[in-house]
Amino acid sequence: MRFLLLSSLVVAGLLMGCKSEYADLKPVQADVTCIGKFKPTFQVNWYNASVDVIGKHLSGLLLFKAMPDSSLRVVFTNEVGITFFDFGFSSDGKFKVYQVIKQLDKKAVINLLRKDFELMVMREVDGANLKSFTRNGEIFMARAGKSETDYFITDKDCASLLRIEKASKKKIKTMVTRIGGEQVPDSVFLKHYTFNMTIALKKLKR
Amino acid sequence: MRNEVVNSQWSMVNSRWSMVISQWSLVIGVILITSFSSFAQYPGYSTVADLPSFKKQFAIEAKKIQSIKSAFVQEKNLSVLAEKITSEGNFNFKRENKVRIAYEKPFSYIMIMNGDQMLVKDNQKENKVNVKSNKLFQQVNKIMVDCVQGTILDNKDFTVKVFQNDKNWLLEMTPVGKGLKEFFQTILVYADKHDYSVSSIDMREPSGDNTLIRFTHKELNTAIPDALFAIK
Repeated sequence: MRFLLLSSLVVAGLLMGCKSEYADLKPVQADVTCIGKFKPTFQVNWYNASVDVIGKHLSGLLLFKAMPDSSLRVVFTNEVGITFFDFGFSSDGKFKVYQVIKQLDKKAVINLLRKDFELMVMREVDGANLKSFTRNGEIFMARAGKSETDYFITDKDCASLLRIEKASKKKIKTMVTRIGGEQVPDSVFLKHYTFNMTIALKKLKR
Repeated sequence: MRNEVVNSQWSMVNSRWSMVISQWSLVIGVILITSFSSFAQYPGYSTVADLPSFKKQFAIEAKKIQSIKSAFVQEKNLSVLAEKITSEGNFNFKRENKVRIAYEKPFSYIMIMNGDQMLVKDNQKENKVNVKSNKLFQQVNKIMVDCVQGTILDNKDFTVKVFQNDKNWLLEMTPVGKGLKEFFQTILVYADKHDYSVSSIDMREPSGDNTLIRFTHKELNTAIPDALFAIK
């Protein structure tokens, strides 16, 4: 009897574990084009940046600069002035590493940072590539990729962007929250759920 | 016969002229080369040829500095993006091996170096580092301390050339090892001629970006409490 209880608990646990965190999203008709108003429109904006990765803490200054060719440059320097990386995101989705220090020059690290910034700046998000769902009064505008889906989550009237989530088929992987200033956020917080990493940005008052 | 004399006189005149001309060309050449080389490198600065005696004097004079209290303005220039960010704060140095750099605007960031210990404090966290455990930290720490203590010319991480104008010494430091070369193409240290104290540091990166730190309101040899450099 005890064995049966234990095995059913294990099976239930496994089934629960297999269930996608997004399984209860229900398709809904919504104006997905409204998401465009939350897309940051950086000109030249400096942020105080804090990065915590698996117990290591790194701080510095992050620059977002819109270029004349409509690409976006993201440059991270430390407070003393050393440039850690300089990335370019072009409007056609291409990505270029202009500069990166040796310690960060690893494919996995660069890909991770690329994805994080693309999520933060809502790169290539427009109404055409989004499907809408709902749960608990929130609207999930989903952009499906090969193995991951980005969810841009607003309130039911699309009056505010509540958060952005990147997820595998079953689990959340990354979450972005923003505070203040729709076009140029006052602060941005990104958290990874599959390992211990956060990026916190706070706009510099110059 | 007459023709021969005229010819020989001409040839004498010619050889004199050619000597004069060659002498002048040499002088002009030297002037051009020296002025070109000093302009090409650092406008208004000329090379200090006798490095050993400068080194000796620099060490003697710098040793007279027991402490420095100063404000600073830092300008980071991103050359390709044509952007710059200016920050400011205060700088304290106390012999031996104590440096405190505190950025106050537009962000808060404190770096304290005290012997082999280093403390970095930003808005969110405090990080204590044993400089000995990290080669790069060790090198950066050494640059800072050597610059203000006047022992930078003995720092084996760099080759140093020295230039001067009527007001400043200019130390051009080129990193030797790969680690520092990745971050710095050269570091230019400008020191006041009258007291040998550092007036600015220009860190030039291989990308063409640079960071210029200018020290202002310098006070030398005033009392600075040890507590300012405490790493708890």
